[in-house]
Amino acid sequence: MTEIINILIQILFILFIFSFPITLLENNTKSKISAFSLIDKLSINLIFLINILFFASILNINSEYALYLYVISIIFLYFLNFRKFNFKSIKIDYYLLVLLFFTILISIDIAHELYFAWDVQWHWYLKTLSFFQDQKLDNLKNFALAEYPHLGTYIWSFFWKFPLNSFEYLGRITYAFIYVLSIFSITECLKAHVHEKIIFAVLLISLTYSYEIFSGSQDVLLFSLILITAKFAYYFFEKKLVPNRLQLILILLGAANIICWVKNEGTFYALFLLFCFFITNNLILKNKIALIIGSLIIVSLRIFIYNSYNIELNPSVFEFEKSLNFEFLLILEKIKIITFYLIIYLTQNPICLLTIPVLIYITFKYPLKNITKFVLYFLILNFSFIYLTYLFMHSETELLARFSMKRVIFQTSGFYFLAIIILINNYGHLFNIKLLSKYKIKKY
Amino acid sequence: MTKKFKKNFGVLIIGFLILSFIYNHNLFRKLYNIFVINYESRLTEKYGYCFRESVGFLRMLKKKYKFNFNPLIVNYEDAVPSSGWSIYDNHNKTDNSHKILLNYPKNLSFYFKPLNKIFYSEDTVRHSNGISNIIFDLKDKYIRIDSKIKIYRKTLNKKDIIYEENFHKLVENNQIVPIEFKTKKINSVYKPTFIEISDLSEDQIGKINSIILNLNHEFDLKNFTIIEKFNNCYYVK
Repeated sequence: MTEIINILIQILFILFIFSFPITLLENNTKSKISAFSLIDKLSINLIFLINILFFASILNINSEYALYLYVISIIFLYFLNFRKFNFKSIKIDYYLLVLLFFTILISIDIAHELYFAWDVQWHWYLKTLSFFQDQKLDNLKNFALAEYPHLGTYIWSFFWKFPLNSFEYLGRITYAFIYVLSIFSITECLKAHVHEKIIFAVLLISLTYSYEIFSGSQDVLLFSLILITAKFAYYFFEKKLVPNRLQLILILLGAANIICWVKNEGTFYALFLLFCFFITNNLILKNKIALIIGSLIIVSLRIFIYNSYNIELNPSVFEFEKSLNFEFLLILEKIKIITFYLIIYLTQNPICLLTIPVLIYITFKYPLKNITKFVLYFLILNFSFIYLTYLFMHSETELLARFSMKRVIFQTSGFYFLAIIILINNYGHLFNIKLLSKYKIKKY
Repeated sequence: MTKKFKKNFGVLIIGFLILSFIYNHNLFRKLYNIFVINYESRLTEKYGYCFRESVGFLRMLKKKYKFNFNPLIVNYEDAVPSSGWSIYDNHNKTDNSHKILLNYPKNLSFYFKPLNKIFYSEDTVRHSNGISNIIFDLKDKYIRIDSKIKIYRKTLNKKDIIYEENFHKLVENNQIVPIEFKTKKINSVYKPTFIEISDLSEDQIGKINSIILNLNHEFDLKNFTIIEKFNNCYYVK
C-alpha cells in the first residue's frame, strides 16, 4: 500500500512541478503564452525546468538548492501575479486526466517489473546513483562511458530524491510522465474532436509501450523530447496557430539543448531538427538569426563543457583510423550488414511500419507542403546518420547493429507520426473519412 | 440524440482501449503483486538470489556485513554485466581485497565442435587468466599431431590470434595435455572461438570428435578465505 501511495504522491509532485511557472504568467493579458493549450504549457514548463536542472548539474549546484530556488521563484511569481491569478479559471482538462491515468498505469508496470536493461546496469544507473548521492559531475569519470551525456540520469536522480527519497523507480516515473505527455502533445495537432485525439494517443501508446523502454535506458527520453519538439515545430507550419514565432524558437532551442544532453546521438537529432526546420520555413531575418545563434550556443556549450571537464570520446568506440581506411570491400560489407538490420528493425517498429509508407504516399501523391518536406528531410538525414554512425563505429558492426539499432530506430520513430497528422489534417477529407464528429480548433 | 450517441461512443472506445491496455500488460495482477510483495522480494525475484545478477545475495551481504567499502564483484554469468551497481555506494572507497564471486563455476572451459577443417566453440568466458590444458575426444585410441595449433577469434574475416604454438605429440583419447599459457585474450562473451590445426589431413581431422580447452580461473577459491557462501556465490577475502 505504501508503494502505491508513494507512486501517487510522486505523480502529483511531477504534475505540480511541471505546472509552473508558465501557468502563473498566463493571466498577463499581454502574454502570448495564454494562447497555448494546457499540454503545451506543461511541455514548456518541462523544457524550462529540465534546462534549469541541466545548468544546476554542470555548475555542480546541489539539486536540493536547485529545487528550493525553483519553488521560491514559483512562489515569487505567484505573489507577483496574485491579483491577476484566479484559481477558478483552472479547469479540469479531460485530456489531462487520461494523461495522468496512463502515467499511473505505466508507473504500476515500472514498480512491478523493476529490472534494468543491460547498459543501464553497466553505466546509466551508476551515473544516476552518483547524482542521487550528491556527487559532482566529475565523479562520472569513475564509471564506464563517462563521455555519454548525463542529463537523463540527472532527471532520474532528481525525481528519485524528491519528494520522497525512497524507491529508485520513483525517478523513472518522470520518464513515464514525459513519454505520455509527449504522445498527448503530438496528438493535439490532429484537427479532430478531443475523443478522437485521445483515441489516437491511446493507440500510439499501445503501439510503442513496453516495459523495456522504461528499464532505465535514455532512448524513451529522446523519443519523447523529439515528439515535443515536433509538436512545437508543427505550429510554424500551421500559420493560424502561431502566436509568437520568437517565443516558439526559444522553446525549440530549449528542447534541442535537452536532446543534446540526453544521449550523444541526440546532438545530431537536435541539429537535424533545427536544420530541417530552418530550411523548410520562411522565417524573418530576426528569427533566422535567433535560430542560428541559438544552435551555435548549444553546440559550443557542449564542446566547452566537454573541454572543461576533460571529457574525450572513447577511442575504442570510434576507431577512426580503422574506419577511415577506405577499404572498399569492408565498407560494402558494413553497408550490407547495416541495410539488413535496418530493414529488420524498421519492420519490427510498428510506428515506422505505419508512418514511413504514409510519408512516401503523401510525398508522391500530393504536392509537397513545407511540413512534408520537414519530415522528409529529417528522414533522409536520420537514415544517413544511421549509416554513417555504424560505418564509423568500431569494426564490430554486426554485433553493434544487432544490439543497438532497434533502439536507435525507436528514438526518432515518434517524429514520423507527423506524417499521419499531415495526412489526416490535409488530405483526410479526400478519403471522405467521417470521424466521430466535426473537429473544433481549440485555442492555442 | 445522434450527438450524444457519438460522444458516448467515443468514450466507449476510449474505455475499451484503456481496458485492453490494462489487460495486455496484466496491470491488475501487477498492482496486486505490489500490494502483497515488498520491494526487496520483488527485486530479488527479478534479478535472482544466486543466479543471473544475484542481486539478492549481494543485498543480503550488504545488510549483514554493513559494508563501508565497495567490494570487487565478479559475476561469472555471461549474459549480465557486473552486478556491482546493486550495492555500490559513492561515499565508500573500493576495496578489491574483499571479493564477491557470483555464479562461480567449478571449471572454465570451451567445448569445440568440428566445422569443416577447423573446430568451433560458442562458449564464452570472462574471468580466466589463461589456458590450462587441452583434451581431444577421439574416434580412435590415439592420434599423432605434428602441427601448429592456432586458437583465434574472427573480426570481419580477420583472425585475432589468442594462442599459436607448435604441437608435436602422440595424443591419447581424452588425455589431458597441459598447455599452461597465460593470456587474458581468451576472455570474450561476444564472439565464437576457433581452433585450427594446420597440416592435419581431412582423414585425421575426421578422427577428432571434439576438443575441450580447459582454462585457469583468474580468481581461484583456493587462494582466498571464504566468509559467506550460498550455492555457488561466495564472499571471500
